[in-house]
Formats: sequence, C-alpha cells, structure tokens
Amino acid sequence: MITLGIKDQHTFLDEVNKRSGCNILECYQCGKCSGTCPVSMYMDITPRQVMQFVKLGMKDEVLVANSSWFCLTCAACSGRCPRQIDIPRVMETIRHIAIEENISSKSKKVKDIRKFHDIFLDMVRRYGRGYELRLMAEFNIRTRNYFKDMFLAPSALGKGKIKLLPARMKTAKAIKRMFDMAKKLEEQPKQ
Amino acid sequence: MARVGVFVCFCGANIADFVDVNEVVEETKKIKDVKFAINYKYMCSDPGQGLIKQAIIENKLTSVVVAACSPRMHEKTFRRAISEAGLNPFLLEIANIREHSSWVHQKDKKSATAKSCDLVRMAVAKSIANEQLHEISVPVTKRALVIGGGIAGIQAALDIADAHIPVVLVEKSPSIGGRMAQLDETFPTLDCSQCILTPRMVDVATHPYIELIPYSEVVGLDGYVGNYKVQIKKKASYVNFSSCTGCGACSQKCPVKVPNEFNLGHDKRKAIYSPFPQAVPNKPVIDAEHCLMLTKGKCGICKKTCEKGSIDYDMKDEIIEREVGAVVVATGYELYDASPYEEYGVGRFKDVISSLEFERMVSASGPTGGTPIRPSDGEIPKNVVFIKCVGSRDEAKGIEYCLKNMLHVHCKARHAATS
Amino acid sequence: MKKLTYFPGCSAHGTSEEFDHTLKLVMKSLEVELDEIPDWNCCGATSAHVMTENLALALPLRNLVLAETLHNDTMGIACASCYARHKVTKYELDKDPVLAKKINTTIDDGTYHGSVEVKSMLQFVYEDIGIEKIKSLVKKPLTGLKVACYYGCLLTRPKAITQFDSPEYPMSMDRIMEALGATAVPFDFKTECCGASFSISSSDVVLSLSGKILEYAKASGADMIVVACPLCQSNLDMRQPGVEKLFHVKLNLPVMYFTQLLALAFGHDQKDLMLGKHIVPVEKALAKIGKEPEKKEEIKSKKTVESEEAK
Repeated sequence: MITLGIKDQHTFLDEVNKRSGCNILECYQCGKCSGTCPVSMYMDITPRQVMQFVKLGMKDEVLVANSSWFCLTCAACSGRCPRQIDIPRVMETIRHIAIEENISSKSKKVKDIRKFHDIFLDMVRRYGRGYELRLMAEFNIRTRNYFKDMFLAPSALGKGKIKLLPARMKTAKAIKRMFDMAKKLEEQPKQ
Repeated sequence: MARVGVFVCFCGANIADFVDVNEVVEETKKIKDVKFAINYKYMCSDPGQGLIKQAIIENKLTSVVVAACSPRMHEKTFRRAISEAGLNPFLLEIANIREHSSWVHQKDKKSATAKSCDLVRMAVAKSIANEQLHEISVPVTKRALVIGGGIAGIQAALDIADAHIPVVLVEKSPSIGGRMAQLDETFPTLDCSQCILTPRMVDVATHPYIELIPYSEVVGLDGYVGNYKVQIKKKASYVNFSSCTGCGACSQKCPVKVPNEFNLGHDKRKAIYSPFPQAVPNKPVIDAEHCLMLTKGKCGICKKTCEKGSIDYDMKDEIIEREVGAVVVATGYELYDASPYEEYGVGRFKDVISSLEFERMVSASGPTGGTPIRPSDGEIPKNVVFIKCVGSRDEAKGIEYCLKNMLHVHCKARHAATS
Repeated sequence: MKKLTYFPGCSAHGTSEEFDHTLKLVMKSLEVELDEIPDWNCCGATSAHVMTENLALALPLRNLVLAETLHNDTMGIACASCYARHKVTKYELDKDPVLAKKINTTIDDGTYHGSVEVKSMLQFVYEDIGIEKIKSLVKKPLTGLKVACYYGCLLTRPKAITQFDSPEYPMSMDRIMEALGATAVPFDFKTECCGASFSISSSDVVLSLSGKILEYAKASGADMIVVACPLCQSNLDMRQPGVEKLFHVKLNLPVMYFTQLLALAFGHDQKDLMLGKHIVPVEKALAKIGKEPEKKEEIKSKKTVESEEAK
C-alpha cells in the first residue's frame, strides 16, 4: 500500500532534483541500477525504489531507509543508467537532507556508519591528517565492540601498517579554521 | 472584402445534443467578416448542400466554413458543392465540432459550445487567408522504383506490379530476401521464415511487370514528383547471368574462404558465391576484394570449371538509367553495434551474441544446422539468457527511441531455444 | 627530468607505506621528480563527502591551491580515494566559479585558479610515461607470473570525470603488467567495489565484496592480485584471513601494488619492496617468476564465498 504525501510530493522531489543536479522524473524504472549495485542486498529499499519513492514524495520513508548510508559511491550504477541520472549524487543529497533534518535510520548498522564518519572527521579536524589507531580505538569504544579487529592489531602495528603516533601538520590550525568556516557555509540558507 | 458563409450542422443528435448549435450560429454572426450563418440538420445531405450553394450565390460569398464532422468524412463533398456554385473548391474550411468537440466533451455542453465557437472562429480566419488553388494534371511516368529487395521491398514490388504498373526493383546484395531470409521463424505465427519468403522471391523473379536488378545500387536520382530519372550502378559480378545456369560448380572448386556475412561470420563462404541456397537470382557473384584472380592475377579455377563459359574477369561496373514516377525506399536496417555495452562483455566473450546470430544458429539452414551452440567451445548451452533493449531507449550509449519489437524477438527466441 | 606535483595522502606513511616507497623508486627510474605539496592536508576521504557538502570540497581545494604554488602542470595522486576527491572537487569548481569562490573563503592559503591537472599515478604512468618507455627499462622480466589486475571503482569511474580508460573493463594496468613480462589474466571483477571505507564501520560488507573479488581472481588463474589503491589493498590483503575464516575457503592470494612490481622488474631487489608489510605473504607467488608454467591447479574446495553466504 502506498500512501502519497501529496502535499509534499513536489517539494521533496524539487529539492532533491535541485541539490543533486539531476531530474529524477527521467527515471523509467528499468532497474539496471539495482541489478548492478554491489550492496543493494543490504539496503532497505533498492536504488530503483529510492528513485520511485522520491518521485512519489515519500520523504520520510526515503530518509529513514538505510539505503543512502550503504551507498559506496562506486558509480557502477550511474555508468549504466540509460537516463544518465547521477544516482550516487542523489544518494548523497538524501544523506545530507537526513543530517540536516535530523531524520535517519534507527538501525545499529547505520548508526555505526555515521559514528565512524563523525570520528574520522574529528581526527581530520584535530590533526589535519588521518590517525587510524585512534580512529579504530574510538570507533570500537563508541560502538561498544571493544575487541573488534583486535587480532589484527599485533600484525598491523608490528608491520608498521598502523602507526602509534599521529602524523602532524605544521599548519593544523588552518584545518580547524576551515572546518569552522565550512560549518558557517552549511548554516547559510540553501539556495 | 471578405464575405464568409458559415454552415453549422446538427449532425442529427450527434452534435446538437452536446453543442448548442443555435448559440454557435448567433456567436458566429458577430464575427466581422461573416455575412451569412445558418444551421441545418444534415449539411451533407442533398438539401443541405443545396442550402450552401444557394447561399453562396445569393450572398456573393467569398469563402465557406462548414462546422460539422471530421474533414475526412465530407471535405470532398463540400468542395465539390461549392465549386458547383462557382467558388474555388479550396476556399472551404471545415471546423470539426463533432470529433473535436461534441464527441469528447459530452458532459459539459457549455464548454463544448464555447469550444465549437472557437473552432469556427479559427476556421473563418483561415478561410479568409486561403488562396485559390487550381488542380493541374501532371503526367506521371507509370513505373515505380523500389529500393531494397527485402520483404518490404518484395511485397511493395508485388503489390504495385499486380496493379499492372511496371516496377524496377534494385537490391545491393547478390540476392533478394534481406533480413527475413536470415530469420528462423516469424512472429507470431512461428512460420518457417524462408518457407514463406522464397515463394514471393520467385514471384518477383518471374513477374512480367517486375524488372529485378540485383547486386546494384542507386547512385543518382533527379527530377520531380511523378517524373524521376534514376541512375543505377550495376556492380560487376564477373559472371554472365544470361548464360550461367546456377549449377554451383565454380563455388565448389574455389580455394578462397572468407567469413560468411549471411551467417554473421560464424562460417565461411567462397570468393565466388551465392549468399544462400534459395537465392534469387540463383547466380553467383565474385567478391572482388578476395578473389585471387582479381587481386593478384592468380588461380582462375572457376573459369576453367564453368562449362558455360560464364566467368568474365574483365566485367566492369555499369551505370544504367530508368525513368520512374514513384520511389519506394525499403532499405531495411543495420544491426546496432553493441560494443559500448562493456557490461555485457560484447566482443570480449564469444558466447555473447546478437539475436540475429542466434536466429542463424537455430535456423536449419544455418552454420550449426539448427542447434544452438556456444561459439567458444562448440558445446550445447545449458542456460540461455536473453538481454533486451540493448542500445534502445538509451541516450547514454545508444539511441533514444524504442524499437517496439523486443517482445516479438524475445518470445520467438525463447520458443526456438526451448524447442 | 619531468616534474610531477605529488600528493601522498594519509595512508602513505602508514597503511600503504610500501606503495609510497616503491612509487618513489619507480619515479626515479622513470626520471620523474616528485614535488611533494608542502604541508598538505587529508582530502576528507569518504567521510567528508558523505556527511558534508562544503567541507568535502574545501579539504581538497586547499591541496589544489597549494599545488598551484609549485607551478607544475600536473598533480599525481597515489591513493584512488584521494584522487577521486581531488578530481571531483576540481570538476565541480571548474564548472561553477561562483561555488569555487564560496569554498575558497574557507581557506587563506591562496586563490584557486584550476591550473593544475589531477591524475592518478596509474594514469600518469600509463599516459605520460607510456608502455614503450616502461618496456625499455625492464631488467628482470616477470615472466611466469600470472596477475589479476584489480582497479577498484574510483580510478576509472565516473567516466565523465576521470576520462581515463574504461569504466567497465579497463586495460591500462593489464598492459603495464604485460610490458613487464607478466601475464595479466582476464578478470571480470576488476572494477567491482571492494567495500571501500566500510572496512571499519561495516566489515561484513567488505568481507563479502572483497571475498568475491578474491575468489574470482583465484578462479581466473591468478597467482596474485595487483592494485593501485591503498584501501583496496588493505581490504583484499588485511581482511583476507577474515574472508577465509567466515566463508571456509582457502585463498592464499597475495595483493601487491603495481609500483612494487614495476620496481622489481626495473631491477630492484625484493628486499627493497617492503614485502614484510603484507599480511598474506607474497614470496611464494614471486618465486614463480622465471619458472616454467605449472600444470593448472584443481581448485579442490567446492565451497565458495557465494555458496557460504547463501547459507
């Protein structure tokens, strides 16, 4: 059963179209994207279904689905789409809207993925460059999976694949400033 | 000074029940150039037509609008009527207030009436702008040119020729038959394609009104409607068709083997060849690009073998001219090159083939005798996948339109594969 | 001496040190001087563009602006993910100068002009150096070694942006390997995504996707997989024991960087290639170089990643 959010139908579609630079109405539901996507089996709704949901204005369903969070941005789908729709870009727009409106999947998997990204960006903000050891440790702690990948640690550290200490940038302050300025830009009203 | 007459038809109840024909007349009278407006039950009837003729004479009308049914019904009728009243027949306009108004707006008489008034107003304006036209007679050469000897060209040629109009049928391959000769079965009847095609091919060859010019191409056309001059290049076949009996001995002896285009490269043919056994005409031609004699001056076996002495290595291309009055273009289609579809492994995997190759394979006269066989290892496939819409409806890598024949091809192929 | 602006990326000193190290050896042989960007920052990788719009462009922008100060016409990037981020940023900002100006306000290292071209190291080696030059430098041909070239998803896609090789079945790395004397086996999973950054946050996805790639490579007859991306290398190598354990398969398929093989073929010793960094040992596969081809090994186990996953 489909409930049509008729009131929101064009608003959500228009917003996604504008921010992604695509015209989702072009999609004729051939399904090549879903067939190609290597992670479509992990998604609540497949890429093809995401397109249709957006067309129908089913905003809540789209934002709450885990689909956009599983998208790898591998661009295998858009390479084959006969309507030349930039599907990864659409997925990206959906993620950004979900963050802005604070609506997202309640599944642990999605929460874990979002936590990872938050921690990663935090590392970049602090050090200007990635710091894998702390990233993995913090991730394990925050997702309460304390011993995840522990068996990898000895060989990884031993072989120097993961460094004990973070790399340092001379002008790490520039990165902190960049983050703050970028945040200010995000807070500006969307054109 | 325009003086337009408007005649609104009730069409019995067809129009009148859904359009207020009185109001249409009243509104029409308000138009500046309309000098006469009337409605009548059946405008196409004799009295109806009489009404129009009388009005033209009495009111010195300069153009006429009939608001009635589709011009496909009675435009001719009314043109004849007004010309009988002395008005040029092309000064008539039809406002279709039946199909375009009463038939499609049956629930809203008010709007239907308003729309009908608009349609009449538009027709009035056009009728004023119309120029007098005079039909002229132009002699038409009573001969048709059909370009392309596939089934479309063959059928067109037969239809025209059966009407006793001479036809010149030009085909660029050595034989007529085209794509249909390559198919295994037809859709939806699942007839054996060559079985229903070849009788027609023979009809073409023996028809007294058809001049079949095979192995030729149209290289020039000029003239005007009904009077064309066409130049046709007869490619050198190096075989004298009038003496050749089609015995095939030359092909048997020829030492050169070339990929066979008819079977899309899945087997070989000789340099002197006839494309398929039921070819019409059943005379071989020499492929000048691969013949040893024509390229290197060696061999000559076919000439030695031919008992009728039909081989002539000195033959040249010949340009001939024909006068025709009409041209039918039936040049068929090319197979789409699917190599942009790398995701299907086209070109990379030998076992990814086109539907036409598949047709040749399941055809009893094909390279595998009717059994689908994997080109890579010669084994009979356990699974066959049919991929549709390759190249169609795809602006990115192909053409944007739909070919509208996918279902046919697929159903037929599935049937062939499973049987 | 050609000069190439170089962006090493965060993994160059850690997870993919061997890539960075052998790249430098190879560039020396190719007479290319690497000009490292001063005080470069992390490109933001996947996390920046997944979570943000403007920051995702700002991070690479800073590096592009710094690159312009070196006055070389091209910037080469080793890591495929960093390459993708810089390339996409350049594409977006070149297309939309208003956007470029807006993002430029987040940094005060300079103004963006778009004067530096961005290429992946694979692209640079294939296009700017070329097969003939590579062939001429081969001292120890890698004959007898069968490799499956794995490109991953970012080096050739999306086609409109990378404009390099085929998005479905690229052959540049294969041709480089053939030039070195190795045999590049036909390999249909060469651009299937390995699971990328889900390595930490969703490891099961990586195990499944990378598992299929490894399996297919093995079934294609490869002795090893050759890559051009640190994340791909990490997923296929470091996660290989995990794949073997979860799907009850035996793989033993080492994963090497194309620069390591280039360095080897150019005459460098095995001990210069940092082979100790690999989780799955590479020595056995390298021992095949210069030997007669063995009889084709029967893959005894019927269990596959797909069949185990289906259970």
